[in-house]
Amino acid sequence: MPHTVTRLDRLRIERLVWSLDQRLYDLPSRTRIAHRREVRANLLAAAAEVGTAEALRRLGGPRELAGQYLDAELGEGARHSWLAAALFALTTPLVLNFFLSEAANAYQQALTATATHPDGSYTWGGVTWLQSPLTFVLHEGQATHVGGAWTPLTYLILLGGAVACGRLWRALPRRRNHRPAPSATDSLAL
Amino acid sequence: MTLSSTGDSLVLVTSSHDPQLLKGVLSLLLLHLLAEQESYGYEVVQRLQGAGFTDVLEGTVYPALARLEREGRLASRLVASSSGPARKYYRLTDAGQQALAAGRAGWARHAAGVDAILSRPTTAAPQKGS
Repeated sequence: MPHTVTRLDRLRIERLVWSLDQRLYDLPSRTRIAHRREVRANLLAAAAEVGTAEALRRLGGPRELAGQYLDAELGEGARHSWLAAALFALTTPLVLNFFLSEAANAYQQALTATATHPDGSYTWGGVTWLQSPLTFVLHEGQATHVGGAWTPLTYLILLGGAVACGRLWRALPRRRNHRPAPSATDSLAL
Repeated sequence: MTLSSTGDSLVLVTSSHDPQLLKGVLSLLLLHLLAEQESYGYEVVQRLQGAGFTDVLEGTVYPALARLEREGRLASRLVASSSGPARKYYRLTDAGQQALAAGRAGWARHAAGVDAILSRPTTAAPQKGS
């Protein structure tokens, strides 16, 4: 019996489609958008046929569906995640800069708090290994500072962290134990 | 599960399915259904269910179609629909036809092998200690 797809039904469908889309960011954008559109069109057809609740139930959860799409597109087993790598590469500098800035502010406040230091330049080595030395200029109780840039090691740690977080070595083409994708005949595993 | 072949048409009558068995032959079933007739995802599911696979879920079929398309066995095109967004219709490619032929032969070989073993008479299990 045909069912009427109401606005609420469309919202429920869109919620699932959006939720699925969020889990497919490791796919190329064109593929991701194509899957999103296909699932939406199929869900609307199914909802008109069997009702939205049943259509959503038969599709399964967005997590499982996304997992199957990722397996279908990228192969089964452990794989890399560009999303995780990007998340690390974007959030770690924010956190790192916050703590480095707090450390520099603490040094500056130590210079100005007691008002016992004469005007002049003061150099602090910075957080060891992570940043270059900072130079503080104290003039009439006011301090300014320059320096404190990241060292090459910091950039290296960021790069290594992003690679480790996203397991990006799995994106490299396999040189050994490469097996072609199973054919329909091969997949007749009984 | 009973599988019988009448000419080019494949008829499957099942009451309940072992998910592992179904997973193994799903690609073959999809290739055959799409060789019969170009279809979109939900229509393929309906046709599978109409053939007796009532417990095949859409969430299994759509990614399987995506995998077959990525492997070059299916091609697709968007067709405007009067009742909603454009639908993605799948059809077999030449590679898909070859995979279907190979799959059919493979299935016949497996089924014959399994039948040959299952048709042997069995004896009563030996008693313990005898």
